[in-house]
Amino acid sequence: MSSTEMSKILELFDNIKADKYPLEKYNSIGKRGIYRLDGYEKASGVAKYTIDVQLPGMLYARFLTSPYPHAEIKSMDTSKAEALQGVRAILRYDDPELPPVADLGGHEPSSEPVLKKVAHFQGEEVGAIVAADSEEIAEHALALIEVEWEKRPFVLDAEEALLPGAPLANPESYPDGNLYSEITSIEKYGDVEKGFVEADKIIEFKFRQGLNTWIGPERPCGIFKWNGDCPEVWVKQQRPHICKRVIASWFGGIPMNKIQIHCLYQGASFGGWSQMPWNMGGHYCAAVLAKRTGRAVKWLFSRREDFYGGEMDEGVYYYKVGTKLDGTITAIKAGSVVSNQVLPFFGFVKHFHENTKIPHIYGKTEAVQVNKGPTVPTRCEQNSNCHSFTLVFNHVADALGLDPVEVALKNDGADGHDMIWLNSRKADMGFPVRDSLKECIEKGKAAIGWDDKWHLPGTKRLPNGKMHGLGFTWTHEWEDSAGSSEMAIRIERNDGTATILGCRADIGVNAETAYCQVAADELGMRIQDVHYRPQIDAGFFAMTPDSSTNMSVNGFAIRNAARLLKRKILEAATSPRGKTPLGSAPPAFPGKKPEELDIKESIIYEKANPSNRRTLAEFADYSGAMGPIGSPRGEPGSTGEQCVRNPLTAPLFDYAWQIQVGAYAGARLRLCRQAHFMEVEVDTETGGVDVVQVVTVNDVGKVINWEGCEGQQYGGAYMGVGRGRSEEVVHDPMTGVMLNGNLLNYKIPTMLDIGHINTILVETGMGYGPYGLVGIGEDVATIIPALIGPAVHNAIGKWVDGYPMTPDKVLKALGKA
Amino acid sequence: MSPPNKRNPISEEEINLVVNGDLYKLRVQSNWILQYVLHDELGLIGTKELCSEGACGACTVIIDGRPVLSCMVLAMECDGKSIETIEGIARANHPLIEAYVQHSCMQCGYCTPGFIVTAKALLDKNPKPTEEEVKEVLAGNLCRCGTYPQHTKAVLAAANNLQRRLKI
Repeated sequence: MSSTEMSKILELFDNIKADKYPLEKYNSIGKRGIYRLDGYEKASGVAKYTIDVQLPGMLYARFLTSPYPHAEIKSMDTSKAEALQGVRAILRYDDPELPPVADLGGHEPSSEPVLKKVAHFQGEEVGAIVAADSEEIAEHALALIEVEWEKRPFVLDAEEALLPGAPLANPESYPDGNLYSEITSIEKYGDVEKGFVEADKIIEFKFRQGLNTWIGPERPCGIFKWNGDCPEVWVKQQRPHICKRVIASWFGGIPMNKIQIHCLYQGASFGGWSQMPWNMGGHYCAAVLAKRTGRAVKWLFSRREDFYGGEMDEGVYYYKVGTKLDGTITAIKAGSVVSNQVLPFFGFVKHFHENTKIPHIYGKTEAVQVNKGPTVPTRCEQNSNCHSFTLVFNHVADALGLDPVEVALKNDGADGHDMIWLNSRKADMGFPVRDSLKECIEKGKAAIGWDDKWHLPGTKRLPNGKMHGLGFTWTHEWEDSAGSSEMAIRIERNDGTATILGCRADIGVNAETAYCQVAADELGMRIQDVHYRPQIDAGFFAMTPDSSTNMSVNGFAIRNAARLLKRKILEAATSPRGKTPLGSAPPAFPGKKPEELDIKESIIYEKANPSNRRTLAEFADYSGAMGPIGSPRGEPGSTGEQCVRNPLTAPLFDYAWQIQVGAYAGARLRLCRQAHFMEVEVDTETGGVDVVQVVTVNDVGKVINWEGCEGQQYGGAYMGVGRGRSEEVVHDPMTGVMLNGNLLNYKIPTMLDIGHINTILVETGMGYGPYGLVGIGEDVATIIPALIGPAVHNAIGKWVDGYPMTPDKVLKALGKA
Repeated sequence: MSPPNKRNPISEEEINLVVNGDLYKLRVQSNWILQYVLHDELGLIGTKELCSEGACGACTVIIDGRPVLSCMVLAMECDGKSIETIEGIARANHPLIEAYVQHSCMQCGYCTPGFIVTAKALLDKNPKPTEEEVKEVLAGNLCRCGTYPQHTKAVLAAANNLQRRLKI
């Protein structure tokens, strides 16, 4: 395919220009106080999650897990477990009915063993799964399984895994070494050596990123039930459509139309297990066990087992930066060695290209297998990019004695070009020409009092004895928006309310209410007349909540569906209704054309004569005998005459779909920015870091649901502070055993861990989504962890070279440990 | 949960629980925790299991007026006690429920009932708490989505509503 052809395809499939069809007036869109759809259910305790589901006779299944970080099962005796009362079935790795591999989920079709015999990390599900009358009995049975393990040497550290003679962490997949050589990622723009020659100063530094994880409040679980040969499946997954596709590939093939999926409320996973190539393994085992026992089977992980999945950026990162004395960066060369990262192509210096005028950039990501659990993008794959961005700008500012805000503004741009070029592109594409970064910075600086409070690093001791620090960072407001979405709307009989159809995972970002806001404004309906319950396998699958795409992909689908439906309603309102061979009823608005009508407040009316009106309920008609109009065999009505059976109006329904390439293909320039500020106090005796204040400013282009956007800001700030300051999954270097797989020893933030959060939203209209919006869900939680670094540096005048910034690392930077 | 296991004998006992004002006579095993009994045996699914070791507050219920982590209490210990769960609080139309919705205190919502039950216990004892007192009490409840800032606002708003109701 030629590049011209590719460009045409990108143009066709991607909305790379400004939205040309905004509404003239917004009623519920952008309005505060819209009643959230899931609010009462979640507050009152009736909201049902997969783990809450109990079915008659349901069995509970739990996996055997490896006690060793690297070991092979040589033999296994399950006889004692099988004899335990209440155990109904045990599925073993050597079961003759298990295929060598199956599609077990992940982003794309996968080929994974259902039950492995070799464990590559301590805690891995291997060897057997037990189904019993209760989870407790299943757990007891697991303890009775006798396994002869052949222990293998293991390695936990990415750089150690690269040393000559290092143990092979996974010889089954990587027999030649621990480096994933075939997927080493290179990012290259310009000529970095040329850039270093042009520089006045060269800065070099490195940092180490520890392993953190998501902690889904609801444990990973699922239920598989056979209704004859039709599977009915409850999934705790962000991608119900992938679950259905995967299940259809099992047991020689199951027709899609026989599979029913329930995707109930999700006790959040922030990406998490939904992306693992084995994430449907539990369902496969449950399907086999359910078939053998004739019972529904719920499989579960223990709370500890949830901790074995991790965020994907654990590793070591090196940087060499060339800069002019005024803060203009000329070149960045960086390298990283990361653990168990299966998607290194995301890179970690892309933001410099996407977001600045820096002409010369080089990044190399080496991904290495170690004997820890699998990793996936957690909240977002942009995590290491945010660290790179934050640290490079702040190191440059520190080395030159400049305000980091000024360094940011000096380098803002896109694709190696400056803001003049970027502004002309905004105009070309039809966007408003606004300086998003400047607007974000001005608001953020004013909110935190930057001009009064900022100081040179390590220079301000507070009356309480602690050192005061201010930090700043920024990047683009990303959403990666590659995806497709199918959504439909129908007008209900009897009351004319609208129901949105589209199966998706509700992860709590209140997107469902936002879709209703879009549909209501586009249809001309009252917000309370539109409802969406996405848990139903309705035959349409909306885009998953991944990649901050709730509004940028699904927003288009629901908007387009609403526009099509509105046109259909107005056409129906001006056409004969209830047509049969015997005749038809006259139009609801005789003699009118669709363009002479409109809908407002859920009422169809004639624009030139608003008193000529019908409510949508009247027009949709009520569910009568559902018989044919004027049938001579019709039942007598109450008056004794032949009745006209309802409804007269055809079903009012329409759908739309949206497919777009998104940002990864490089089709889009990043126009919207975000800026964040943090105030800390550091105790130089204990190394403790108090986060006093966070100001988070996001240019989301256009706000649809205020409370939803703000929720992602303060919620992201909390998660970010946790990940940056206290959260680390720790393994014992001697045994390879995870030491803190629980919520007592893995420290996520409490209410008291941030003093104050100030959330500010900017609306420049420069997003590629409908109405000029851009997503927000992943941004704040992903960039805030990095911000702790410059804030602590500003306080103590020393760089802490590791995340999370636990007291021991702060004390080490101070030379006290 | 299965009947007692003959090879691993666990004693059983009949207990009386008053849950949200309703009397239940239950036969429970000695190792059953209260959270399990409420959630699985009585179907009161708002009492959530999250950490299972007293670290997160998601399973909080009110026993004889005190907020208690139901994952840390054996059901047998509760014989004769009066227990209030989120379902009872909602059924009573406590202003906390509406305040939590109005302030969008939930995201994934899994931990939300635990917060409300904890807050209810606070308001029962201290109908006019300060912001600091609310934070102090709710600090034991974990929310991975980070909804924390809204809870304080909602609890203070609910306290105001309660005061207004009392005056009426």
